[in-house]
Amino acid sequence: MNDEELEKLTQKHLDERLTKEEFKRLESFLQDSSYARRRYIESARMDSALQEAHYEQVPNSLIGKRSVQQSVSKYFGVHWTWVGVTAFVGVFSLLLFMFLAKSNKPESESHDSGAHVESVAVITAQAGVEWENKNFREGTSLKPGTIKLLKGIAQVDFYSGAAISLSGPAKFELINEDKAVLYYGKIKAHVPPAARGFKIKAKEVLLEDLGTSFGLEVNKETGIADLLVFDGEVRLTGKSGNSLLLTDGLAANLTNGEPVKQKPFNPERFPEVSDVVNASASTENLRYLEWKKSSIRIAKDPRLIAYFDFEDLTNSSRRLKNRAVNGLGSEYDGGIVGARVTDGRWSQKTSLDFRSEGDRVRFDIPGEWDALSLFAWVRIDALDRGLNSLFLTDHFDPYEIHWQISKTGYIHFSTSPTGVVDLNENNRRFFSEKFWTPADSGHWFFLAVTAEQGTGKIKNYINGEPISVVDGLQRHKPINKFKIGKCDLGNWSKPIWQNSIRSLNGRIDEFGIFSAVISEDEIAGIYKIGKPY
Amino acid sequence: MSDLNTDKLFVKLLARNERHIRSFVRSTGMDWNATEEISQSVALIMWKKWKQFEVGSDFMKWARSIARFEILKYRRGVSRDRLVFNEELIELLANSSEAMEAELSSQDYIESLQLCIDRLPEKSKKIIEVVYQSEKTIKQIAEEIGKSPTSLYKTVDRIRKKLKSCLESRLSAM
Repeated sequence: MNDEELEKLTQKHLDERLTKEEFKRLESFLQDSSYARRRYIESARMDSALQEAHYEQVPNSLIGKRSVQQSVSKYFGVHWTWVGVTAFVGVFSLLLFMFLAKSNKPESESHDSGAHVESVAVITAQAGVEWENKNFREGTSLKPGTIKLLKGIAQVDFYSGAAISLSGPAKFELINEDKAVLYYGKIKAHVPPAARGFKIKAKEVLLEDLGTSFGLEVNKETGIADLLVFDGEVRLTGKSGNSLLLTDGLAANLTNGEPVKQKPFNPERFPEVSDVVNASASTENLRYLEWKKSSIRIAKDPRLIAYFDFEDLTNSSRRLKNRAVNGLGSEYDGGIVGARVTDGRWSQKTSLDFRSEGDRVRFDIPGEWDALSLFAWVRIDALDRGLNSLFLTDHFDPYEIHWQISKTGYIHFSTSPTGVVDLNENNRRFFSEKFWTPADSGHWFFLAVTAEQGTGKIKNYINGEPISVVDGLQRHKPINKFKIGKCDLGNWSKPIWQNSIRSLNGRIDEFGIFSAVISEDEIAGIYKIGKPY
Repeated sequence: MSDLNTDKLFVKLLARNERHIRSFVRSTGMDWNATEEISQSVALIMWKKWKQFEVGSDFMKWARSIARFEILKYRRGVSRDRLVFNEELIELLANSSEAMEAELSSQDYIESLQLCIDRLPEKSKKIIEVVYQSEKTIKQIAEEIGKSPTSLYKTVDRIRKKLKSCLESRLSAM
């Protein structure tokens, strides 16, 4: 049987349109030939993959709904009858989780560059939830606004540090990072010292948390509102302005807009997510969420020129968004060329994979500075080139910077006030200690460099720790300023020597540029919160 | 029972590997209905036996061993006139498919295929989408677009061929 016939019969078998004779022929041929079996498997697996592929860009919410329906009909249709009730409960909770896990990307409540900075809270865990008109999942950040939880329970962590478990049915409005309104539903709030002063309004009563935790319920049907303080203090202010201070174990009724003390009731009325889901957040989830919160803080740093969190990228993303709140915003967005979207430090996070000679992210960041700091989370798979790009300006014009890694594993930072004119006399080059060996392939590294005008004021950091500059050229000559302009992350455009290739082999999932020297402590801090484990 | 075997971990692993389980089952010659049915049984059995799974070991390997069993069980239950391969061939296919798993279920593979799909002309994309993602049969689809089933199959075959060669050239270029 030749390839063509094999291919034809294979495909016909997969499409279930073989005649009995053809089937016999295919079966005996496959039995005799391992080559034919491999071809069959390739076709069958592609057939299977075609079912899973995406064919158009549809809003996430639609994908979510469709997959939910499919999964539900799939499991219920076939198994409801014979699996039995016990297993059904298992499969059902499984399903709930499955579409949480399956829905494509967290539906970010933000759409435009920098907009995610306006978010005030993030969903860190949830169980059995159904949101009205939303497909929130763990990791979804929430902007101010009203959310409705039809059923289930979700943990919402405010950026101020306050954490609440919200049980549905509930209508809840986020005002800002330390204020919210409960229209109906149940919440259990934990407020750490840093978030002291967290406020919730219910039935025109303002609750101000002065301590650590309380439970609050506004009944959807009856409108009855009950509060119980677990520990610490809560100050209640009614619509007439009268205040009441409640401490540990005390309860109040707020139904009429004024706080009235009442007999304490059973605290178990207020469930927490962790009661429902065991170990609701895996370590990975937690690390990712910690980083996420810190990333939102970093984006606000006024010293930033540009900041890229590499979040929410999809295969069709061609733009790497600048998340720095201050500065020129989308002007500094990067253009993704070739590099593919893949997992970052955690499976929840996206990154860009640089592999081919052409892969890069293009930027244009004109200007000149007295000082610069760069940092990036990089997974180096191999150092293939003599010099491997981290961040290189096009060509090498006067005062422009080059940040790269040598084949042997040290950081190479350089800048030349005259550009390529008399390059060897003018190019200030700083070589760090070696930090990378092939055994480090596939591991994430936090790389940072700070550069300040003056003589020899270049400092490199690996994983939050400074490492020395041990070699270089023209290091004793002063540097007056730094420039960037058009440049590449992970590659080098318009190299000064023909055929010079410096493409990176690895991944990047966070990158920032500051117009100042950031301190050793700050660098250690960014590393600590962003390290993968 | 280990406290590492959280429900959440199971769900995560299953969500990540579901498609690979289906692909494995399909590659032993099972038709679509059988593939769905078997994959669901596999998921349920894994869920029931989850506490016995050693966290950190190969989840897909575990899934495949259960799937092999379920495939053969299914095979024994179908009548002889159904065009399902004999047991011996099923095992041979399962062995090769297992050996090819790393390559054919890699992120590279999935992304390359996605890229090849993205590059199809809009019309071809639409056809493949309807054929693979709607509940309709080829006959129904052919009727709707005013083609004969044979000519629709021809078109689909042509698109699949194109995808296959795109895929091969991308994967060999890596």
